[in-house]
Amino acid sequence: MSGDREFLKGNEALAYGALHAGLNAFYGYPITPSSEIPETLATEFGQGNFPEFRSFLQAASELEAINMVNGSAATGAKTMTATSGPGFSLKQEGISYAAGIGLPILVVNVNRAGPGLGNLGPEQSDYFQATRGGGHGGYRAIVLAPDSVQEMAAFPSLGFSLAFRYRTPVVILADAFLGQLKEDLVFPEVSTSSFDTSWAATGARGNQRHVLASLHLELDDQSLATHKLHAKYAEIARQEQRYEELESDDARVVIVAYGICARLARRAVRSLRARSVPVGLFRPITLSPFPNQGIEKLIGQGVRNFLVVELNMGQMVQDVRLAVNGRAQVSSLGQVGGLIPGTEELVRAAEAMVG
Amino acid sequence: MKAEVIVAGHGGQGVLELANWLAYFHLRRGRHVAYTPSYGPETRGGKVKCYVVVSDETIDSPIVEAPDLLIVMNIPSMDYLPLLKPGGNLLVNSSLVKDARRRTDVTVTEIPAVEIAAGLGEFGPTKGTDTSIAANSVMLGAALATTHEAPEHLAEEVEEVFRHFLTGRKSAFIPLNLHAVEAGAAFVARAGVLAAA
Amino acid sequence: MIENEGTLYETKLGPLPTLTSKPTHYCAGCEHGTLTHLIASALQDLGVRERAVLVNSVGCSVLAPDYLNVDAVEAPHGRAPAVMAGIKRARPDLLVFSIQGDGDAASIGLLELMYAANRGDPMTIFLVNNATYGMTGGQMAPTTPIGMVTTTTPRGRDLALTGPPIDASKLVASFERPAYVRRVFLPVTPTPSTEFFNARGALEGALAVRHAFEVQERGGFAFVEFVSTCSVNWKMSVLDSKRYAAQVLAPLFPEGVLRDRFHMESA
Repeated sequence: MSGDREFLKGNEALAYGALHAGLNAFYGYPITPSSEIPETLATEFGQGNFPEFRSFLQAASELEAINMVNGSAATGAKTMTATSGPGFSLKQEGISYAAGIGLPILVVNVNRAGPGLGNLGPEQSDYFQATRGGGHGGYRAIVLAPDSVQEMAAFPSLGFSLAFRYRTPVVILADAFLGQLKEDLVFPEVSTSSFDTSWAATGARGNQRHVLASLHLELDDQSLATHKLHAKYAEIARQEQRYEELESDDARVVIVAYGICARLARRAVRSLRARSVPVGLFRPITLSPFPNQGIEKLIGQGVRNFLVVELNMGQMVQDVRLAVNGRAQVSSLGQVGGLIPGTEELVRAAEAMVG
Repeated sequence: MKAEVIVAGHGGQGVLELANWLAYFHLRRGRHVAYTPSYGPETRGGKVKCYVVVSDETIDSPIVEAPDLLIVMNIPSMDYLPLLKPGGNLLVNSSLVKDARRRTDVTVTEIPAVEIAAGLGEFGPTKGTDTSIAANSVMLGAALATTHEAPEHLAEEVEEVFRHFLTGRKSAFIPLNLHAVEAGAAFVARAGVLAAA
Repeated sequence: MIENEGTLYETKLGPLPTLTSKPTHYCAGCEHGTLTHLIASALQDLGVRERAVLVNSVGCSVLAPDYLNVDAVEAPHGRAPAVMAGIKRARPDLLVFSIQGDGDAASIGLLELMYAANRGDPMTIFLVNNATYGMTGGQMAPTTPIGMVTTTTPRGRDLALTGPPIDASKLVASFERPAYVRRVFLPVTPTPSTEFFNARGALEGALAVRHAFEVQERGGFAFVEFVSTCSVNWKMSVLDSKRYAAQVLAPLFPEGVLRDRFHMESA
């Protein structure tokens, strides 16, 4: 399959991307608009096309699913779950434990509109929940934001490699649009090098054993553990910031957008550039760690206007403001409820900032 | 080459299939394609709408705001007509939509898709089937002809598309749908759209 | 203390290779200590230490990895069966077990317990039913008898308010697939006419623990409930807690083998 051009839904591409990346185990609970992920994996499970895919189960609940994920991950297996908003809330318990224990897990959230039951349309309103940890205790997950079906297919591999390198939960934060969008894609060649799993709980050897725990009853022990965790996050922030730029070299206004909004922004930028309006795009690929290095570079280039476009009432804009730290004007353009802003809206907002 | 398309109709007319086939036809020609189904309750029995973008270049946005081609399968879908680019093409299923000529700055082609499909006659594997179900394939043929994608080898290329989607028991419907595509393309050729281009 | 992030580390051995040298934190007279030794003995006898993974969830047994010298994975409150299912499905060669409290298994983790039981996942669950929340300070448990005073039922557990105690063994046995379901009365009991104690429960318990591991090795779901005491939270002397358990808990949670698909070969 690898190398051929495929035509798949984002959710299907993500499922196959995970399989190509050597997925060992998947546990999930159906929720629209992410259900094609477990459905696709169920179709492939036990068929022999992906012999490393050893375990698949529709769990009784999101809670059961995420804890099964943690169990399989504790043995060093490449393990994933997928969900949408309400289910992502329920999974926070297990994600917090995975962060505290140091389990490499991959969690996909196909963001729908909320809060509460909301609707099935696309939103990016789980940005805070995903990038701030989302569960209890001071932890962070690495958050990857695909903007195409091609990246939906490619990011499980990237996600697993980051999850195992840092022994941390990785979230792929997609949205309902990307989940349902069908595009042409090519499954990338995946490195077959195996990850270090010497830490995994697979049985004691001699007088050596593995204890995977987040419990530190002594205050000093907990303090030390949390400091170690945050030293890891600092390392991740130094090493793993990812972003993409379009037409930003001489831009006077830079649109900051991720996911489906980045696609809208591409069109807006091309439309403006066609009229010689100097507007560029900055697309964070890692939402956590937020690519401050890229914003810093743009500030250094003299960019003094940022327009943040999101499918929420303004969440990532706070990270942009933190990165900008008063050195540029930052405006926010949000759309919610499953609606998508029009190109003209972006064009007008960006043009207004060019002045 | 770049084309942005909206396909609209109601549930049961094969709108999503038509859009998928159209996108995959272009994918096989080496183009980038994006297909977006419509969202929300309107997909249940009511309006069905999808976007198809095909391009030799990487596709910026998959959302079609101003289509080059609008394929309308039922009356309510004429609501999308104002979005059609000036100079664009409107393909109408005139079996259901009788008053399509509402804009003079676009090319309107009326195709009695249901009647054409119904008149295809019987095919071996699907003998006894009401062939009017292939109206969406008639429109596919019309769309390919309208966008100058109707070369000599059209049938072979479209057959590959159908083989991709119509698998298992559905493969019995491939001959019927192929005939429908050819009938749709032929209808457009006769209507002189190609000559006008 | 357990080291951060489960890095491989060395444990000083206790009296058995399956035990660490660390003294337990369990209170005087608590059956958790007894069960710890029964499990360590069974793992040693069966020679499975190198394949054993303990899943510790929340309750007094959360510190079990400090005492049982085996690999361990921590689970959130109630989720041990889900974590075990994940381990076992990824690595069927491993032997997974949990020591759960009544609140862990029969209250917050009831769904996880029931679904693991319904699937018949190969795993071994030891439930310590002491009718109270020991670690959190003596609150009402799902197994608290009607009328028992706890910190959240200060006037005694009220049937009308909370419903009756939950019988976890009976519930597990109501599913088709569990292979072994047994309830053991673990406390030593004062004999009526002498000052001697009857430790029959520990002997029964030893057999049950061993069989519960063997059942998993044969692909079955094994569940053993140990009726136990908590003198500290019951606010009784150790001796009185044994008497209370014999008088109140034993009739409420009767001993017995509720299911044994792979009949215990020898006693």
